[in-house]
Amino acid sequence: MKKYLSVFKISFAQEFAYRLNFIMWRVRNVMQIILVFFLWDTVFSNPGRVLFGYDRAKILTYVFGIMIVKSLVLSARAADVAGDIYRGDIMNHLLKPMSYFKFWFTRDISSKALNLLFAVGEFAFLFIILRPPFFLQTDLLALFGFFLSIALAIFIYFNLLFMTSSIPFWAPELGWGSHFLITAIVIEFLSGSLFPIDILPLTIQKILFISPFPYLIFFPIQVYLGRISGSVLLGGLAISLFWAITLWLVMNFIWNKGLRAYQASGR
Amino acid sequence: MKKILRYLNIWWIMSRNSFSIFLSLKLSFLIFLTGKILRFIFFISFLFFILQGTKTLAGYTSNQAIFFFLTFNLVDVMAQFLFREAYRFRPLVVSGDFDLILVKPVNALFRVLMGGADVLDLITIPPIIFAVYYVGRLLSPTTAHTVLFLLLIINGLLIATAFHIAVLALGIITLEVDHTIMIYRDITNLGRFPVDIYKQPLQGILTYLIPVGIMVTLPAKALMGLVTPWGIVSSFVLGIVAIILSLRFWSFALTKYSSASS
Amino acid sequence: MDKAILVDHLVKNFEVTEKTPGLMGAFSTLLSPKKKVVRALKDISFSVSKGELVGFIGPNGAGKTTTLKVLSGLLYPTAGITQVLGFDPWERRPEYLKRISLVMGQKNQLWWDLPAIETFELNRAIYEIPKKVYKESLDELVTLLEVEKLLNIQVRRLSLGQRMRLELVAALLHQPEILFLDEPTIGLDLVAQEKIRNFIYDYNRKHSATILLTSHNMDDVIDLARRVIVIDDGRIIFDGILDELIARFAKEKIIKLTLTKEIDTKELEKIGKVKSIQFPEVILRVPRSAAAVAASELLQSFPVGDLTIEEEDIEDVIRVVFRGEAKKLSRK
Repeated sequence: MKKYLSVFKISFAQEFAYRLNFIMWRVRNVMQIILVFFLWDTVFSNPGRVLFGYDRAKILTYVFGIMIVKSLVLSARAADVAGDIYRGDIMNHLLKPMSYFKFWFTRDISSKALNLLFAVGEFAFLFIILRPPFFLQTDLLALFGFFLSIALAIFIYFNLLFMTSSIPFWAPELGWGSHFLITAIVIEFLSGSLFPIDILPLTIQKILFISPFPYLIFFPIQVYLGRISGSVLLGGLAISLFWAITLWLVMNFIWNKGLRAYQASGR
Repeated sequence: MKKILRYLNIWWIMSRNSFSIFLSLKLSFLIFLTGKILRFIFFISFLFFILQGTKTLAGYTSNQAIFFFLTFNLVDVMAQFLFREAYRFRPLVVSGDFDLILVKPVNALFRVLMGGADVLDLITIPPIIFAVYYVGRLLSPTTAHTVLFLLLIINGLLIATAFHIAVLALGIITLEVDHTIMIYRDITNLGRFPVDIYKQPLQGILTYLIPVGIMVTLPAKALMGLVTPWGIVSSFVLGIVAIILSLRFWSFALTKYSSASS
Repeated sequence: MDKAILVDHLVKNFEVTEKTPGLMGAFSTLLSPKKKVVRALKDISFSVSKGELVGFIGPNGAGKTTTLKVLSGLLYPTAGITQVLGFDPWERRPEYLKRISLVMGQKNQLWWDLPAIETFELNRAIYEIPKKVYKESLDELVTLLEVEKLLNIQVRRLSLGQRMRLELVAALLHQPEILFLDEPTIGLDLVAQEKIRNFIYDYNRKHSATILLTSHNMDDVIDLARRVIVIDDGRIIFDGILDELIARFAKEKIIKLTLTKEIDTKELEKIGKVKSIQFPEVILRVPRSAAAVAASELLQSFPVGDLTIEEEDIEDVIRVVFRGEAKKLSRK
């Protein structure tokens, strides 16, 4: 446990060492929120308007919720694993008496902590200048469901990242490209971090809800907003859990195969 | 004239080179292409579904809103296609290889700005042009408005060029290119929707200070016949001023360039 | 004789901002930058005739590379006059740039992911080299540098030595009249160094190109340059032919003895530094001025069979220059 604590610390410090990168990354997050916020603000400029089952307060809460949930779920360092494999640095790690997965999970947590810190600050700042109506959830059960779904989302995302990062085991030059495709495009859109999934037609929604993606961002926020509760909530959590376990198993399988392919090729 | 032909020839050779580099990485090529196309599809369907619910956006009809989005993509993709090399400027300055570009009898700015056209966008540009044409026709513009649209698109590209030049000049002085160019992209991304949706003072900033509005929103508005003559004149003036200022900034940066010591 | 390069009272100062470490430091640097002026070149003057091959030597940071960069138009001189082929380099006029070339040992112009021939084609367009001239020039360079087989291989797959030879081809395709070479052999193995040196020598003679060369490699200077300019701390402290350099900077002479019988070597230490003893041969180093006195002393007091006085090795002298010790000597 102690060694993971020092990994946490050193990882935290590392982000500070590259503070320009980090600050820029946060600035970009804020810009994206501004884009989405004003879009919805315009759509709901008439205060009485209800669209896709959202009123003004709920949709703007959704947008602000993205900020917090994104920093918790989508902030992670495990994308660097691809580079580790590409450069061959992974061998040094594997020789250490430390679980490689736990090492990166710890780094993810550290990244989440730092990002959350900033996200809260940005949240406060944007809240003061934009003054959106805000929906405060007080139902304890909904809040409990919210935190549970976040925990599952973090784990699902970790597995997805590691699976994507395994690609360089077979194709070293594809590391950066596959992260671009999977995390920057597919997950960005299908998780609900730009818009709520339920504005899409029902058929598309149904297909998406079988996939793990909406459970990363959309589902937790919906639980918070109280738009998902009771049996639907339980069903969603079950699917989340199913994906968390399945992806963990698949990830382990791919990883071990990849490691063997990597060692066989003698890189 | 001879000079233009010479530069076209050099541009052609450099572009051919960057194409053959890219084509040698077939799988990467496919992945990035898929990514770009998916992003476009996701965004346009998102817009489409919103508009199905709302019918209008900030007073614009569905077709108009989609046309704004397409115009944004047109300018954005063309700038990416032409100026991709700017993304590779930092290593050149840091390693000092930029020295060897400066001692060549060809404009160094031309080389670092346009030396690596992006083959990916060569594939995505034609469909976007077609989409712009198709949706544009649905808005049934007059000939004059169409001509204005085209002129303002060129003006928009001029502003995009000025942005890129300024980023490169800043890169010489601060050795920082990657982040500034990403911020440029994030700001222009705000132009996916007509800048009318933003509240003041953001709207004003996006119109005059960082003229994303003039780059992408205004051409589309011109096609819809929603621009005053005064607006047109001032945006051309702004485009030209932007280019002049950025070129000045570039020459200033060059005098500050102290090439990395060996 | 025609002067190809004229440098008169050239001064170059760099303004650098001193950075304070830490986040707060970064802010304070941003708000009130502390400027410091580094004086890289302090008033240097020299001229080079057409077809001359001149070696620039001196310790790190002496200003060698800065001089080359000013001459090739990369840096704006703070004061003084520079004229190359009648042009002001800083204007970087295309007509000027077409007649010069700059090669730097650690910098690339070749496109990394492509075969070198593609860069050559690009340079042909940039320098507007007529097809016929290009072909002749390429053939000649390729043969001289023995790179026929490397032309169609991706540059990143080549060794440093192979790449350097191709860099030279790329730099010389337009047959420049003036060639600035900055550390052309840096990081190369001995064989590769030799190839580059032979080439530079041949090229200089064949095309009577004016070549300015900076190097940290003694062999480069000894093999190639008849005239050397020693630059230290931004000043020229020597400008002349290589042999004079020794007379100027050698502080010691070497005395070689053959003894007729074994003696206590401690006695010899009183006369000079004993460099080696392999009975009966002894090598001593003595200060230049004391050489004659030392020799007569040796002949009188020791069983000496044979004695010669020699100059220091050129390598040793140049080593002194590279270490930056030459400045002290030149002040004497």
